[in-house]
Amino acid sequence: MRLRKLLAVGLSLAMTLQLSACGSSAATSSEQTGEEAVATADETAESGSVPADDVEAPAPETSASELAYKGEINFMHYSTSEEAEGNGSSDGFRSCIAAWEEAHPDITLNQDILANVDYKTQIATKAAANDLPDVFLLQGMNTANWAKQGLVLDLTDVIASSPDASGYNMDLLVPFTSEGRYYALPAVSGGTCTVVIYDAALWKEAGFDSFPATWKEVEEASEYFNEQGMDTIAFGNAGQWQMNSCFLSCFGYQYTGTDWFNHIIAGDGQASFEDESFVKALENTRHLFADTKIFNSDFNAVTNEDAREYFISGDAAAFIGGNWDYSYIAETLKDDTEKIGNMKIAVLPEGDGATAYEKMQNNGFGYGLAINADVAGDKDKLDACIDLIEYLTGPSFAEYVGSKYGLGAFYKADFDTTGLNSWDIDLYNYSYVDNKAVAIYDSFLGGDVWNTLNPGLQDLTSGKTDAAALAGATQKAYTAFLAQ
Amino acid sequence: MLNTIKPRGRVIFAYLFLPVALFVFTVFVPLVAALYYGFTDWKGGPVKNFSGLANYAQLFKDEVFWHSFGNNLYLVAACIIGQIGIAFILVMLINSKLVKLKSIHRTFGFFPSTISALCVGFVWKMIYDQRTGLINWFLVDVLHKYKGMKDAPIWLNGEALPIMLILSIPLIWQYIGYYMVIILSAFSSIDTSVLESAEIDGANGLQRALYIVFPLIKNTLFVCVTLCVAGNMKAFDSIYAMTEGGPGTSSMVMALYGYNQSFKSSNLGYGSTISVAIFVLSLAVIGGSQFLLNTYMTDDYDKEEKRIQRKREKEARAAMKKRMKGGRI
Repeated sequence: MRLRKLLAVGLSLAMTLQLSACGSSAATSSEQTGEEAVATADETAESGSVPADDVEAPAPETSASELAYKGEINFMHYSTSEEAEGNGSSDGFRSCIAAWEEAHPDITLNQDILANVDYKTQIATKAAANDLPDVFLLQGMNTANWAKQGLVLDLTDVIASSPDASGYNMDLLVPFTSEGRYYALPAVSGGTCTVVIYDAALWKEAGFDSFPATWKEVEEASEYFNEQGMDTIAFGNAGQWQMNSCFLSCFGYQYTGTDWFNHIIAGDGQASFEDESFVKALENTRHLFADTKIFNSDFNAVTNEDAREYFISGDAAAFIGGNWDYSYIAETLKDDTEKIGNMKIAVLPEGDGATAYEKMQNNGFGYGLAINADVAGDKDKLDACIDLIEYLTGPSFAEYVGSKYGLGAFYKADFDTTGLNSWDIDLYNYSYVDNKAVAIYDSFLGGDVWNTLNPGLQDLTSGKTDAAALAGATQKAYTAFLAQ
Repeated sequence: MLNTIKPRGRVIFAYLFLPVALFVFTVFVPLVAALYYGFTDWKGGPVKNFSGLANYAQLFKDEVFWHSFGNNLYLVAACIIGQIGIAFILVMLINSKLVKLKSIHRTFGFFPSTISALCVGFVWKMIYDQRTGLINWFLVDVLHKYKGMKDAPIWLNGEALPIMLILSIPLIWQYIGYYMVIILSAFSSIDTSVLESAEIDGANGLQRALYIVFPLIKNTLFVCVTLCVAGNMKAFDSIYAMTEGGPGTSSMVMALYGYNQSFKSSNLGYGSTISVAIFVLSLAVIGGSQFLLNTYMTDDYDKEEKRIQRKREKEARAAMKKRMKGGRI
């Protein structure tokens, strides 16, 4: 009898132990995933999908002996191997990570690599649980909130004392600034967010030697293209962010001018979303998408990935998207010499009654490399983390993405353009030479402001609300954001 | 003798401790935590300031939330009619003598409910697509109702039919088989002689369904309605895959809105308030639907039967007491 009782108690004890062990085993398994991720990163680097054809990421300047830290660094980002194919900044980022790892054999990088959409949710969850990884990509719009919560390390002094400081483009730090302090080094996906990509041959047939300079002319051209059974411009806004990031965030400046958004960022009360100029920008956006037949009618039901296929397949004469769409389209069309030869780019045409029109494109870094505030307690580890983020945003990265893809970086590097394709040079000139750069709206402020404006833009363009009401709702969310 | 078989209290406690602890940890703690977070202005991160009823005050004024609640009710109504109604009709058809290969129909009918709702959402997104979708292909190339795919409706913009109806069709399609199996099992418990005698008396199929089958499996249908209400108050996956609540917020449902507030806007405090509201509103809707069913769907026969049952139970209890007093055990 006693034996049976003992057995019962023993068994339940064993079960309890097993259960409590789940916690620690989960931790181990996540470590394994990290190592696996590292392994995958290495594999892809070796298998040749990531690597430089002719350009190699130079070895980090800091020799391994200078870093006293030996151990692990948890690192979370969204440059998956799929993303790196055809996306220059992502490829450069991965190659530099691999180079840094090789130069520091004593440090294990536990990489947790997720697709961008999942990354945003995961990192927000980890921030909520105060469980951020050592090094991660911070989105501009989260800077103020996370800095205030003490989650991210203040990098102001690190940036000032960096050996590369003289080459840094300090303007790019604005999205990662909170109360005058810097919290991240702009990384990965820089580049323009709004570019009109068009097929010059088709537009010539419609009677335009280059892309029209005003939307009025585009509307005229749309009559021709509609007769041909084609869409004039393909656009996809099913994810709701596209119309903000890839259209309004450039088009809006034609009405408001650049100072308006600077005041919005500063929150100094001198600008409001209800200002007449911004309402006018919204009203003209509504007009172009809802009243004219310029865009594909299903723009609110398809994503930018779907819409660019309309352009690639020749169903649309032009497409509006970001630099990532441009790289994808160029990569897809590169073997079709005629089509790639006809592929040209242009700035957004001038809107009706746009008083502040200039040739503009919105450019900047949506993400920056940040360090968990908790790392500050371990001096050696902190040095290693700083070395890592400085390397991933420094001259090596800039030269790699510059000479291989014609992309700009946080560090202003001189690079060799001889190895670039003609279409990469076109985009480089478009983004950094020919046109004025303006800030991308949603790199700033907080997610709740954009989470009001973005669905509102779908409502606006499908006739469920008007410009004044949407401006009012956005201003309300903005006021609430400022009040925090 | 009994004492040797019956385990000691401590042993029972040791056995029961684990499941109870698991239940408390996975169900009770999150619920209480959400209740607590709902009273804070938690924006993610370690700082959580108590903000009293501010979130609840905001919730009452939040048009998007109440619009989402309306959409959930729409889904509930559409799915009760669509899922349970069509499942009932299908059960009647399967059981008719004219239908062959009954078990194949049953298996095929059940199949969609084994697929993840997210996949169903993605598949139907393709079916609804304006330019490559199956529906528009049929309308354009087979029925020649439109000149080209570009003139055909953009279903997911809610153009031709209300967007919530468009979104409830995949849900209905997916779960018909599930309710069909439940109703079939209830149907099989009906004595065949009842149906046969009705047939001999000249009752047609419709009459048999309405006056014989329906009253006899009513209680099972009540369970189905409750399941259906509960399932649709927490609808998320397929809508997330198809429209993400769009265009605008026109197809927003409560769970998706809570998710957006928590993770897109980092309003975790307000997001928790929304989840508490989902819990309370779902309980209210389920309770309300049961009250309605019990009040309006119960006839005199049921009442009489319940009365007799209660009487019998009472008598049985009295008899038991009497025997206990008699000391026969």
